[in-house]
Amino acid sequence: MTKEMQFKTIVAQYCEVKPEDMNNDMRFREDLGFSSLDFMSFLGELEDTFDVELEEQEALKVLTVGQALDLLEKL
Amino acid sequence: MGMLIRDILEESAKKFADIKAVKWLEKKEILERSYSELMDNVVILRKGLLAEGFSGKHIALIGVSSVEWIESYLSIITGNTVAVPLDAGLPCEDLIDLINRSDSEALFLSPKNIALLDGILAQCPKLKKIWILQEEEVEVSDERVACLAVLKAAGKSDSADSDRPAPENIATIIYTSGTTGKSKGVMLTQNNIATNVEYVNYTTEPGSVLLSVLPIHHAFCLVMDWLKGFSLGTTICINDSLLHMVKNMGVFKPQVMLMVPMMIETIYKRLASADPAIPKKVLADNVFGGNLKIIFSGGAHLDPYYIDKFAEYGVDVFEGYGMSECSPVISNNTPEDHKAGSIGRPLANAEVAFKDGEILVKGSSVMKGYYKMPEETAETLKDGWLHTGDKGYIDDDGYLFINGRVKNLIILSNGENISPEEIENKLALNPLVGEVIVTGENNGLTARIYPDQDVVQAKGLDEEIIHKSLQEFLDQYNKNQPTYRQITGLVVRKNPFIRSSTKKIKRQEALIDEAVLPTA
Repeated sequence: MTKEMQFKTIVAQYCEVKPEDMNNDMRFREDLGFSSLDFMSFLGELEDTFDVELEEQEALKVLTVGQALDLLEKL
Repeated sequence: MGMLIRDILEESAKKFADIKAVKWLEKKEILERSYSELMDNVVILRKGLLAEGFSGKHIALIGVSSVEWIESYLSIITGNTVAVPLDAGLPCEDLIDLINRSDSEALFLSPKNIALLDGILAQCPKLKKIWILQEEEVEVSDERVACLAVLKAAGKSDSADSDRPAPENIATIIYTSGTTGKSKGVMLTQNNIATNVEYVNYTTEPGSVLLSVLPIHHAFCLVMDWLKGFSLGTTICINDSLLHMVKNMGVFKPQVMLMVPMMIETIYKRLASADPAIPKKVLADNVFGGNLKIIFSGGAHLDPYYIDKFAEYGVDVFEGYGMSECSPVISNNTPEDHKAGSIGRPLANAEVAFKDGEILVKGSSVMKGYYKMPEETAETLKDGWLHTGDKGYIDDDGYLFINGRVKNLIILSNGENISPEEIENKLALNPLVGEVIVTGENNGLTARIYPDQDVVQAKGLDEEIIHKSLQEFLDQYNKNQPTYRQITGLVVRKNPFIRSSTKKIKRQEALIDEAVLPTA
């Protein structure tokens, strides 16, 4: 599984959109229906899955799938 | 007269001296404090506050959960001082307003929130001291700012201790959203909180492990996680971030947790999305850490569906009901006494009555009033009866049920009470916003906006530009707000809202006639 697909599989746990139907412009809260806590839990799962440490305040500024992927790429 | 918090803590420090009171993570290592160590710190800080001349004063706290935060809080409420815990996630200007309105003369500030310091120093003239919640010295040139070690040095063991507080003394002021848009300081007495700790009918073995995941400035967390937990000799573990809640369940392996419904919903998404081939016991151990048996849910209504689903994973969820004004628990289900769909039986110290369907509460945990808000106090407390703003009934077996709301507050599933007017007033400052109503749905807030037609015409804005401009405005607004106050939905209306004969927008009819502009 590619890193992007692995990422989208985690996203799909919290919403009803399938990984293959996600696009980078989708917003977590508004388009995918994440609650504020879903989003935090999701960030925690990213840390565990990809063995990275996110800077919480920076990570919480992320709005879209594409921005989260960019953040992950930078680490 | 029953015991007050100082008596309860002193007894716990004797009975559970060597049991770990608090555990927390620092650089992935678990650190811990025993009951006797915790009490030693509380006493020395309390003596320090007395030595520094703060007897009878109000003292604010800003920060997320930490052992330093709770020791400082306990040092305040076990002396003759009043603790004002504030939400560290609020914008700086809101915190400054609350420090000033609460007449706080000192502040405990978490090092994580040190960025607030300049604004607070400049705009809170009553503040005489700010202690940063760390032992290490702080590099700030202002003489009002010091670290905890300085306060402890002032309260060395042979110095005088403060008198024991009287039951009717105010112990703490907790700010909660007001229906008129201005948050209100709930004054809770020593007796209010001590009786709430005493009458919540739950017990457990000393040394049982509890993981605290709720915001510490909330009454539910402060009184039930911490004060109730300390009264039972519980080991309370601090969740360092909501990002790590599930991971920390694996680290600390709690037996019991207090949650708001949103947490239960989020965890369930993880359980439900797992490979169905994984046995439920294995999955539960993996997600809950292996020892979790009980979750107490409060702060908002929990869909009973989750109670049934969590039972399949070996975790019993018990729903309760309360509000800051009642210190906070009014009723709760317990392992020995519960009924599905109800919010449990009222505590033995809470008398419950109904007026036009609204739940009224009287008893020893009902607040003294709102700080410096006599009109709001008179509206809420009438002849000793607290008007909860919730509608409900008691069934023949004595269990309380909720079936609606009277007051105009949005209760999100994370337990946060939101005043829509407070947000609407801020959004209305944008010239493109003609009329706005904020509603709560799908675990978040939606702004329903009718654009100002004069601005639309003057600038020749089309539908796409209107939507884009308003979304950009909301994104900007959200940047300065805690997550629970962010607007996550935008509806741009084509028609004005329906108004009453007095020209007020009919809030209940905000979703009617909602022909909307297409989204960009």
